[in-house]
Amino acid sequence: MHSDDVKDIVREAYGAIDSSTEAVAYKLYSPEELAGVPRSAIERALDVGNHLAFADIERGETILDLGCGGGIDSILAAQRTGPGGRVIALDFLPEMLERTAAAADEVGLDNVQTLEAEMEAIPLPEASIDHVISNGVINLSPRKRRVLAECARVLRPGGKLSVADLTVGDEELPPEILTHPATWAG
Amino acid sequence: MAGALTERDFVEKLEKAGFGDIKVHLREQVSVDDLALYPLFTDEIIELMRTLISSDRLEAVATSLIVTAKRRAGHLSP
Ligand SMILES: C[S@@+](CC[C@H](N)C(=O)[O-])C[C@H]1O[C@@H](n2cnc3c(N)ncnc32)[C@H](O)[C@@H]1O
Repeated sequence: MHSDDVKDIVREAYGAIDSSTEAVAYKLYSPEELAGVPRSAIERALDVGNHLAFADIERGETILDLGCGGGIDSILAAQRTGPGGRVIALDFLPEMLERTAAAADEVGLDNVQTLEAEMEAIPLPEASIDHVISNGVINLSPRKRRVLAECARVLRPGGKLSVADLTVGDEELPPEILTHPATWAG
Repeated sequence: MAGALTERDFVEKLEKAGFGDIKVHLREQVSVDDLALYPLFTDEIIELMRTLISSDRLEAVATSLIVTAKRRAGHLSP
């Protein structure tokens, strides 16, 4: 499938989600972790893992959340980096950024900043980020090499990357499934 | 998911992009039932998966991976 077609499918599919995905949040995060997350973000969770359980987030870090979606991980990361740090929540869909900003407001976090951009071309200076986090997003890009190069560029030397993502085995799924638009978006 | 890499390719791409100290912390099998939790996977595609994928693979159509890495010091290749 052509790279632009994949991006269009992904944009359209994520823009159209209107049902609650709280079951995803409750499957991956503990009640203690979710205690400080607003319902609105829990209901929009599209995570594929709990990378923050392994992420070494220090107070004061500048964190980039690549493909923030409804904001669940941006909120959790902003709480851990604290008022001396900040989270830049990046997504290419304005509606996702609005949800993330509203969720941050709801819990009184003023260290979450949103950024409308594509992860293949991150509009941030090089070495400006301490930690890139991303959950269920990189697999959606038709240009993964470019995305990882962008992550490396914006991270300072020694900067951290903490990712949860889907991978596949060597044995391919049937072509009817691999060519279906829903599997390119999900 | 259709564009997802194998773990080997993912780690290799991380190395090439300038990351070191790459650690895979968790690998969790993702079943068709797990995918059904996400609205992106419509009833139609879930049904298609249940029909076309062999029963022994329905429990593991993908793997959820958790990886951490550090940006190596020094010059990055373009
Ligand atoms: C599977 S959701 C994950 C959202 C969030 N990380 C979470 O765990 O709930 C993928 C998100 O990535 C965004 N996205 C997909 N492709 C993108 C791209 N090329 N650039 C920026 N954002 C993208 C989508 O709009 C969506 O919000």
